[in-house]
Amino acid sequence: MRRARVAAAVLACWLAAACGPLSQTHHNPGNSHEVATAAPSGTAEAAITIAHGQVSPPPGWLEVAKGRQVTITVTSDVADELHVHGYDIEAELRPGVPATVRFTADLTGVFEVETHGSGLVLTQLAVR
Amino acid sequence: MSVPAGFGVLAHGVGARSDLPIPLFYAYAGAVAALVVSFLALGLLWADSRFRGDRAGRVIPLRLPAWPVRVLTLLLALYTIGWLAAGPAERNAGPYLVYVLFWVGLVPASLLFGPVWRALSPFRLLPGRARRPLPPRLGYWPAAAGLLAFTWMELVAPEPAAPVTLLVFLALYGAVQVAGTLAYGHAWLERGDPFEVYSTLIGHLSPIGRRANGDRVLRSPFDGLDAIEPAPGLVATVCVLLGGTAYDGFSTTPAWVAALQSGPLGRTGLGTLGLLAAVAGVALLYAACLGTAGLIGGARGLTARFAHSLVPVATGYLIAHYFSLLVIEGRHGLLLAVGVPAEADQNAVAPGTIATVQVLAIIVGHVVGVVAAHDRSVRLLPPARAVSGQIPLFVLMVGYTIGGLTLLL
Repeated sequence: MRRARVAAAVLACWLAAACGPLSQTHHNPGNSHEVATAAPSGTAEAAITIAHGQVSPPPGWLEVAKGRQVTITVTSDVADELHVHGYDIEAELRPGVPATVRFTADLTGVFEVETHGSGLVLTQLAVR
Repeated sequence: MSVPAGFGVLAHGVGARSDLPIPLFYAYAGAVAALVVSFLALGLLWADSRFRGDRAGRVIPLRLPAWPVRVLTLLLALYTIGWLAAGPAERNAGPYLVYVLFWVGLVPASLLFGPVWRALSPFRLLPGRARRPLPPRLGYWPAAAGLLAFTWMELVAPEPAAPVTLLVFLALYGAVQVAGTLAYGHAWLERGDPFEVYSTLIGHLSPIGRRANGDRVLRSPFDGLDAIEPAPGLVATVCVLLGGTAYDGFSTTPAWVAALQSGPLGRTGLGTLGLLAAVAGVALLYAACLGTAGLIGGARGLTARFAHSLVPVATGYLIAHYFSLLVIEGRHGLLLAVGVPAEADQNAVAPGTIATVQVLAIIVGHVVGVVAAHDRSVRLLPPARAVSGQIPLFVLMVGYTIGGLTLLL
């Protein structure tokens, strides 16, 4: 019984150490989000380019506080349609012409920003 | 104007939003709570098995004829198929009826009322006489395969919410159930209908239980869990539920989204691999821990006999991932289905409430699983080794719980 307790205590230390990576998650603001550029004013802006079916910067997270302005500018090399899920905002994309959508982030949650024709996820908008 | 979901990578087949990451503090609090409870269970819980499984509970003498509700379910199923086959391309209620109200709705319904799909299933209107006995080796394998197919359609298929996708799935599902029932009678549905198995397994956690002889009983959820009969494929079925839900959480991480749309395998190829890897990972961890428990405890054949303890863990995962979908998109789906032009409030549940429900679901699932596994260990393992033999199970449960919390971050 005593030995089992000792074994359990050792195990707990190991598990506690193993819990460490919890703090290294990918969703922390300002941590590996290549698109997340929340300005001091609290607005969120993203400029995204699509070329040969590749999204650059690669799809990340765009974090914004609820009630703030979001500006997303997308330039595609082919004709397509931009769609912000949840907010149901759409914009026509013409080849090589930047299209910009602006809206107020008034719904909380995570919403995909994507193209309809090529079905690419451009970024995920996280509204807290 | 609502655009039909079905483009890009959607988290749950339908739905425009997914949940925000839970605050880090919630995750740590949950992980610490899980560890503390597990230690207490290891050292302080009872030394002799207490749960009595199928024998427990108080019989409810009420018996209602089942066919009227089954006819009603059949009509609702036809209504859903009607939406899918003839409904508009935009604002179609069909995908919401299947993915949200049916698939996710079965979880709370089964938790409250027991094996509800067994009671509602229109396939049970077919004659129950078997032409030949169901081979015992088949066990739950057909259900595991069916659940994997459904999960693949929901999370990996190119257009999960397209009516064609759903109609093909429903046609195959219906054909297999009718053929199985005609050959093996209602015994087939008990093991081969993926949704009946799903609902019945979760229903074992309900205070309203069903004994093997058909009696309805009021019983403790622990006795209900203990009444799950080990059978071939049971572990696989539970691992599909756990792994599929884990993949659902994993599939929206930015790194995976980027890999899906730029990798050489294509979105469906890599998604299929990811889903299979999640299920296999969950199953391997289970097999490794149970193998070790058997070695330490000096017992063989433990694998299937502890599968019941994963049911609450899987249920916790399901609630954590689908709670907000049911509340928000479920309402949206109902409004669409009855033709009300109103929009459901996307902010209906505050992010803090969602995070709290998610963490509580994972932790409660963990606690119930640990207690169920403890009781089974003291029954199956020799007393001198019952505590040390539980250590691998404890590692398993803590691993699933920390994994589940990490996926919510």
